[in-house]
Amino acid sequence: MKYRMIVVLLGMVLVGFVVVLHQLFVLQIVEGEEWQSEALDHQLRSQEIAPKRGVIYDTNMTPLARSATVYTVCISPAEILTGSNSEEKKQEVSDTLRTMLGVDPALVEQKMKNTGSFYERVKTKVEKPEADALMEFVSENNVKGIFLEEDTRRYYPYGNFAATVLGFTNNDNVGAYGLESYYNNVLAGTPGRSVSMRNSVGVTMPLEYDETYPAQDGNSLVLTLDEKIQHYLEKNLETAVNEHRVSNRATGIVMNVKTGAILAMASKPDFDPNDPYTIFSETKREELEALNTVEQKEQYQTAKQQAQYAQWRNPAVSDPYEPGSVFKIITASGALESGAVDHNTGFYCPGYKEVAGRIQRCWVYGQKGIGHGQQNIADAIRNSCNPAFIEIGQRMGAKVFYENFSNFGLTEGTGIDLPGEAGSIYYTDKNMGLAELSSSSFGQTFKVTPIQLITACCAAVNGGKLMQPYIVQQIIDSEGNVVSSTEPVVKRQVISEAVSKDMCEMLEAVVTEGSGSAARVPGYRIGGKTGTSEKIDKYEQERKENPNAQMKYVLSFFGFAPVDDPEIACLVLLDEADVPNPYGSTVAAPVVGAVLADVLPYVGIEPQYTEEELENVATTTPLLLDKDIHEAESILRIAGLKYQIVGEGTTVVKQVPGYQEPLPKDGRVVIYTEEFTDEQMVEVPNVVGMTVAQANQTLVDQYSLNISVSGTGLEGSSGRAVSQNPVAGTKVAPGTIVAVEFQDPNLAG
Amino acid sequence: MRHPMAARPPRHPTERKEKSHIGGMDLTFLVLVLTLLFIGLIMLFSASYVYAYYNDGGDSFHYITRQLLFAAVGVVMMLVVSRIDYHILQKFAFLLLIGTLFLLVLVLFYHTRANARRWIPIIGASFTFQPSELAKFTIVVLFAHMISTNYEKMKNPKYGLWPFVTVMGMIAFLMLLEPHLSGTILIVSIGLVMMFVGGTSIRWFVGGGVLLAAAIVVAVLIPGVITYAQGRLINWIDPFADPQGGGYQTIQSLYAIGSGGLLGVGLGNSRQKHLYLPEPQNDFIFAVVCEELGFVGATIIILIFVLLLWRGFVIAMRSRDRFGSMLAVGLSTQVGVQTILNIAVVSNTIPNTGISLPFFSYGGTALVMLLAQMGVILSVSRQTLLGKE
Repeated sequence: MKYRMIVVLLGMVLVGFVVVLHQLFVLQIVEGEEWQSEALDHQLRSQEIAPKRGVIYDTNMTPLARSATVYTVCISPAEILTGSNSEEKKQEVSDTLRTMLGVDPALVEQKMKNTGSFYERVKTKVEKPEADALMEFVSENNVKGIFLEEDTRRYYPYGNFAATVLGFTNNDNVGAYGLESYYNNVLAGTPGRSVSMRNSVGVTMPLEYDETYPAQDGNSLVLTLDEKIQHYLEKNLETAVNEHRVSNRATGIVMNVKTGAILAMASKPDFDPNDPYTIFSETKREELEALNTVEQKEQYQTAKQQAQYAQWRNPAVSDPYEPGSVFKIITASGALESGAVDHNTGFYCPGYKEVAGRIQRCWVYGQKGIGHGQQNIADAIRNSCNPAFIEIGQRMGAKVFYENFSNFGLTEGTGIDLPGEAGSIYYTDKNMGLAELSSSSFGQTFKVTPIQLITACCAAVNGGKLMQPYIVQQIIDSEGNVVSSTEPVVKRQVISEAVSKDMCEMLEAVVTEGSGSAARVPGYRIGGKTGTSEKIDKYEQERKENPNAQMKYVLSFFGFAPVDDPEIACLVLLDEADVPNPYGSTVAAPVVGAVLADVLPYVGIEPQYTEEELENVATTTPLLLDKDIHEAESILRIAGLKYQIVGEGTTVVKQVPGYQEPLPKDGRVVIYTEEFTDEQMVEVPNVVGMTVAQANQTLVDQYSLNISVSGTGLEGSSGRAVSQNPVAGTKVAPGTIVAVEFQDPNLAG
Repeated sequence: MRHPMAARPPRHPTERKEKSHIGGMDLTFLVLVLTLLFIGLIMLFSASYVYAYYNDGGDSFHYITRQLLFAAVGVVMMLVVSRIDYHILQKFAFLLLIGTLFLLVLVLFYHTRANARRWIPIIGASFTFQPSELAKFTIVVLFAHMISTNYEKMKNPKYGLWPFVTVMGMIAFLMLLEPHLSGTILIVSIGLVMMFVGGTSIRWFVGGGVLLAAAIVVAVLIPGVITYAQGRLINWIDPFADPQGGGYQTIQSLYAIGSGGLLGVGLGNSRQKHLYLPEPQNDFIFAVVCEELGFVGATIIILIFVLLLWRGFVIAMRSRDRFGSMLAVGLSTQVGVQTILNIAVVSNTIPNTGISLPFFSYGGTALVMLLAQMGVILSVSRQTLLGKE
């Protein structure tokens, strides 16, 4: 019996205990590390901590793009589907997500198919209040397997404002277009990571295993762009698009002449970076919706994508165009600098010029049937005379012309800190024939981008210094410390200061007495050059398909001020405007004039009226009816009149006071762009008993009426109003003149 | 210290009465039992508090307070039983069998859980009684009685084989109806060990082994015969085939054991007990032990079990009579086999079958019964042929 007992004991120890001990040895010692790492794989949860993306500020620290924390709602199927009541838990999760966030149960069902996963995104970009409500519900009802992950969302407080410059971020917070893309690495910051040990329902274990590597927030950009100037530019471009039915886009740039800093840059129509995938232009959207049928699904998708790319594009840097006559600034500068012509060189314009067997007509010939006659270079610029410039180009010769072209930086990108800058398309001196040289001299047959052109034109009026254009003034970190600052860079001296000075003056003449007169702003010395460029390549392309295709134009104007010391420059181009007489002088110049009229006082340049301007202030109201807003504004501005625009339309439908009606001193013309309604009528207030100053203030400033005074006691403050016409209580249109008679009680007494 | 019960006349007059020693119990065995109980309680607390926190309304002490209470009752029971002369059990041997069979039939009428009828509710569903626990004890007592009575005729199958096979067959049959495979295996193991030690001819074991092998082959070849066990076999061979289902518990257990390494992650620091390992306070408590105390800690605990087993057999060898000897062998074997099977399951050495770890796993009645049975061994140790060293 003892013998058998020993056998049993040894048997149990040897067969039983030794075997299990061996198994434990294998698991813990031999394979220990593998099991441990596998165990850690499911015990550790690593969560990314999203860094806060930097802000984009305008030059006055107004935020144009900023980020806010939002949440990604995730589920953990592995935890939900563990245990006996998995079906119940699954239903609970699905119900919670549906009621709290409106998540489709089918989506949850699909995510649950990844049974081993601890991390499935269910909904992204959930705002904080919603996320808080969800988590409160989850903890109150003890729902297992739902958790949040922090994320950020980009907000653009001004909506469709500077959109092509700012760009936008995609759903993963990566800059997709514009500055958001160009400076993505600066703005993005470095994500942090938190590693913690979780139990199977995702709750952190109370073990000392938490390791957090904090996220490094992104740096912020301070732009040279000024929100106010940008607003002036966009407002005017938007009006221009509507009044001239611009079918491509209207693009404008406002630049600091001395530094090359971009003060404003826009293209209209653009988009709302808060919602970049929606087509912003209403007409375009309607066109697309018409395509949106079952049969044309694919076409619709393609068209929609194209429309999206088109609205995201920044033509100011990405789309080269033929600059037309604006380019004469560059030709003239080079011609004077190289000595190919001087101020005494004469150019005769019979209205046309034959080049290589082809007749090139001057624009004036088409209008008046005669040429410009004998001109010097200043006349040629002022007249924007093509035959004269053909001759100037030919005098320079291809080599000098090309050198000048290249010196002005037109053969290379400007290197502005914006993405997608396109290069130019041009003839070099080697492949430039006489015909190409002749056309090039007045800005056709080659293409440059708007940013290249404005930079070059600025050099011509900036003492010859070609500046490096830039849009980011400073990079600051999340605490506001300056990381880096941009200093203006002079790329090179392109022309001498003397030639530049001559250019300024000749370009002033374009505005004071030439084709650019619509850009005049009383009180300021404005210089500029018009441009009406034919889209020849497109025309020839279209002609192949349709012999009746019409020539399309890019109407543009480059303006700068003040002429004696240029500070602000503005280039505006309207691509394919639908107007009867497509000229830069009548269509684009008033837009630039309107922008400059807003910008110059804003940047602190005080108006200095000349004697002539002061004397020439109109006393009767000019004809404004049926004119486009910009044209009417330009007429009023040049006439030295104050005005007010009522309505959202693009054409003047009514003016108060009427045409040729006398307008009192300091009077205000009210122009209506929409049929005005009774609601817009104002009730004439009672001014009897007021002084002249009081009556003036009440009628003009408070009620948008005009006042004409008569009687005695007009000087000083003793006179009191004794009667008015119309009488108090009459309903009149704003702008109506109220005649007020004053009497000095002292004199009467 | 004389117990009044110990004064009864010895059953085997041939044995040298003058050298028999009735008095102090085996302190080594007692110390080993208390050591295991002590470690077991600590580990139960460590393994259970997270699970308790989440499943019992935030009360981390849910399991340990109950287990401590039962441990106290159990230790008292053990000491009381140790002072009762074990020979009294001989009188109850057949009564125990009848009672056990009755309860094993009765339990089939209680569907306490979906797939098994193992428990008889006593006070609601929270306090239940497991007849198979009683069956283990019954087998030991009855077989010890049968062997001690018919020791001389054990080579004769009429006395040494068929009565044993009949009793085991009845109990096993009823337990398989529950079904309770692990309990059946345990009882059959104890029974076979006792028959072997008791003197049943070796050739019957050889014959039985051949029959068993044949039965297994048949069972494997005919699918559907053992569907109940088939899934477990698959999960044993490759637990990762169904990581969220049948293999889940095994995988989590292996993660825990493997994470322990040589020295463990430290007492209280198990990660797997954080709701990964299902019911870590029950059958898989040893996985938490391995994780927290490492290979070294696990080996030490296994060694204590081996020492306990060894001491139980020493008591058996020194026992005054065959009945006491067989009781000690049977009860020690029960602890040994159960421990081996439990650790083998936890470490995926054998297929997963629900079997608890003595002194460690949560379970009030089981702990009290276990300690009472240890009391029986201690009672045996008080009546030895040799004096205590």
